[in-house]
Amino acid sequence: MNELLQLDNIAKSFGSTVALEPTSLTIEEGSFVAIVGPSGCGKSTLFNVIAGLLKPDSGEVHVANQVVTGTSGHVGYMLQKDLLMPWRTVEDNITMAARLTRGVTRDDRLEARRVAKQYGLGEFLRHYPHALSGGMRQRVAFMRTLVTRHPLLLLDEPFGALDAQTRLEMQQWLLQVWKEAQRTVLFITHDVDESIFLSDRVLVMSPRPGRIIADFANPLERPRSLDVLTDLRFVELKSQILHLLHGVS
Amino acid sequence: MNSNSQDGPVSTVNLDSASESRSAGGFNRSRRRAVLRNVGIPILSIALLLLLWQAIVVVFHVAPYIAPRPLAAIQSVTDNWGSLWPLVLGTIRETIYGFVCGTILGIGLGVVMAKAPFLHRMVYPVLVLSQGVPIIALGAPIVLILGFGIAPKVVIVAWIVFFPVTVNVVAGLSHVDQDLLNLARVYGASKWRTFLLIEIPASTTSLFAGLKIGATYAVTGAIIGELVSPSGAGGSLALYQEHANTNFNVAAVYGTTMVMTVIGISWFLLIVASEVVATPWQRRTVARPSVFHREPDVDPASTVH
Amino acid sequence: MKIRSTGALALASSLAVGSLAMLSLGGGASAAPVTNVTYAYDFPGPDFELIPLVVAQDQGFFAQAGLNVKVVFPPDTSTTTKLLVTGAANIGFITTTDMGVAVNAGAPVLSIGNYTMSNNWALFAKPGVALSANKLKSELEGKKIFSYGDTWTESMLPFVLKKAGLTDKQVDIVTDPTGQDFKFLLDGKVNIATNTSNYEVAGFDTSGLKGKEPTLLGTAVGAPNIPIWVYATSKSYATSNPTTVSKFMSAVKKGTLWAIANPTKAAVEFDKLYPKSGYTNAYNLDGWKLTIPFLANSAGQYFTQTSAQWATMSKALKSINLISSVPSPSTYYTNKFLP
Repeated sequence: MNELLQLDNIAKSFGSTVALEPTSLTIEEGSFVAIVGPSGCGKSTLFNVIAGLLKPDSGEVHVANQVVTGTSGHVGYMLQKDLLMPWRTVEDNITMAARLTRGVTRDDRLEARRVAKQYGLGEFLRHYPHALSGGMRQRVAFMRTLVTRHPLLLLDEPFGALDAQTRLEMQQWLLQVWKEAQRTVLFITHDVDESIFLSDRVLVMSPRPGRIIADFANPLERPRSLDVLTDLRFVELKSQILHLLHGVS
Repeated sequence: MNSNSQDGPVSTVNLDSASESRSAGGFNRSRRRAVLRNVGIPILSIALLLLLWQAIVVVFHVAPYIAPRPLAAIQSVTDNWGSLWPLVLGTIRETIYGFVCGTILGIGLGVVMAKAPFLHRMVYPVLVLSQGVPIIALGAPIVLILGFGIAPKVVIVAWIVFFPVTVNVVAGLSHVDQDLLNLARVYGASKWRTFLLIEIPASTTSLFAGLKIGATYAVTGAIIGELVSPSGAGGSLALYQEHANTNFNVAAVYGTTMVMTVIGISWFLLIVASEVVATPWQRRTVARPSVFHREPDVDPASTVH
Repeated sequence: MKIRSTGALALASSLAVGSLAMLSLGGGASAAPVTNVTYAYDFPGPDFELIPLVVAQDQGFFAQAGLNVKVVFPPDTSTTTKLLVTGAANIGFITTTDMGVAVNAGAPVLSIGNYTMSNNWALFAKPGVALSANKLKSELEGKKIFSYGDTWTESMLPFVLKKAGLTDKQVDIVTDPTGQDFKFLLDGKVNIATNTSNYEVAGFDTSGLKGKEPTLLGTAVGAPNIPIWVYATSKSYATSNPTTVSKFMSAVKKGTLWAIANPTKAAVEFDKLYPKSGYTNAYNLDGWKLTIPFLANSAGQYFTQTSAQWATMSKALKSINLISSVPSPSTYYTNKFLP
């Protein structure tokens, strides 16, 4: 398997606070990696460095074997807030990345419509975001991320604002889309269940200073059904992670 | 919105129940009723006000040289419409030119100040100072510099209009969601495209708030301008009223006031209407069909790679 | 229609802003009970036409009549009539055309005596500029003409335009209620000034300018020959205070005659009472002297009004549609309070 993402000794401090200790990391193409950790553990900093929003104090970021440290426009990025533009229709929101860079082509629009129809929002292309539920809006945000065709997608707690029921539906939906679209996903979450349910690999981070303290391979097979949630291996992995997060600090 | 929606993974999704009543045009039936209410009730209350005025004049035997009956005032307007209409046009012209100048100045200044905090700190106190000067006191110096024509009126209207526009443009631009701006950066958007495609549209609500405030006072500014700058050929609405006052034509005095009020309200409503047109997402759930892109045939079986 | 220097304008605006300025002319010296009378002038500030009243106060004529007269100045030229009608002033100084439109609107005002006896309103131009009755059309067409925006000027100009064969769209009437007609004329902001001759000539005489100011009397180009200013009161005040009104006019006549006989002293008394009027003593004296010839009629009478003058006035106003109907002349005036 190819290494899609490579971090060499990325470190970042804000004043006297060490947000991220020198961290190295390799992510393989096509994998789904979850990152769990409490506030201040440096996970968002890590994301922002990879996305190019922050320049690290030291180290390099490689995406598809190219150095991209400090530059942007090479990953897909999604937050807990859907950040849909209220003044644009669903279709226009999906094509937003193109509009913000090279301009929207007819192909972009066709693609947006195809994606929307495929994932259940085909009838809402001309709706405005405020007419949609929270879950639907996050799906639009995800489609916006998808159509950029970036192989690497950074998802920062995208389902954090949704209720438990919707969250579960969105998780299943995400797995489906990830499989069909064949992308590499880095997924931040507070929710340990979510991290295990979705991922091939779980990184646990800890604050003060921000660093990765554990790297678990997820033994559960795919495709993941709801039964997985009560599988013994699920529970065991969850126990290990919880102890790391809430045990002796 | 509603988190209890039954969103299936790949299935057609049900809308929440309120949507069932939405008509094809994207408007709620109850919204139509609201519009009727918003228009009907003001008209009704104005009519009641006129009736009250009539009652007071009749019941208290108010002398006609103190206050006329509302119908007399209205009749004075209709009887003299021939001479009033060009004056009304003049006031409207002054209002529009002044408003446009004030808006352009306000937006320009607002953008510059939002983008350059140093300029903002320097310019803001001067702006506040400018609004502390009573408009009427401004009149004499403006006339000395600009003379009698339409210029002093336009300047006064622009003076009144630009400040709320500036303040609101600055506020709008400063309060764009930083996460959204970050997202644009992650996409690799240039500063110019971010400004054009995100910051400007995000500020439209603020901008219109400023425009509405300016619109409320724009006509007042035009009338003040007409009062302080001796008019050129043809006269002005304010002068017409002054003459009516001098000539003890009380019905015409009140009538002219009514005309000025109508102009003021109409201009305000026009701005409100343009806000409705410019910000469809605030009232509609579904956009109108775009004239630019038509729905192509898409094979639903094809998938994204 | 008075000339305003910038100083006078400053005074006028400071007096006019906000409320009325009230200057008491002092109380009576006699033991008899004193009646308070509020007199409203026609302009926002005092000028030489007020001299008869100044003298009546200074020489004690008011006091002898048992009157305590307070002079108030309105914020603009159209308010005096309203002051009379609402009772805020008892006796006032207005124009005959003000009377015409007020009575037409139903306002119960009554004229109790003429000030001047004829129409000395005229058009003026800068020295060297042609102004004549027979070439009126070419001299006025397309030109900027000054107007005070008051009823009097509004009433006179249509006659002039009619004589010239022009509509008001063919001239540019510049309206300035603050009355800077002379300044505008000199600055070139208007081509033709309009004013009454006593004010305009006094202003020109004291301006230091050389030459003569071309003058065209309104009556020479179609304006009706009616008195300009009158003393007036409200009908109700006249009915309930006839003695006071008579005593007032009697004292004013004494003051007028004294001022005619002693113009220099009268001007000095004016300056003493209104030191900040904004006018020079030379201007006040010149203006008063220019006013004197108009105060008496051909029979040597002062203040006496005629039905004919009021009939002429109302017919003239009707012909330019400033009033809707012509009432009988007796509606406007009475001479019964004259001494």
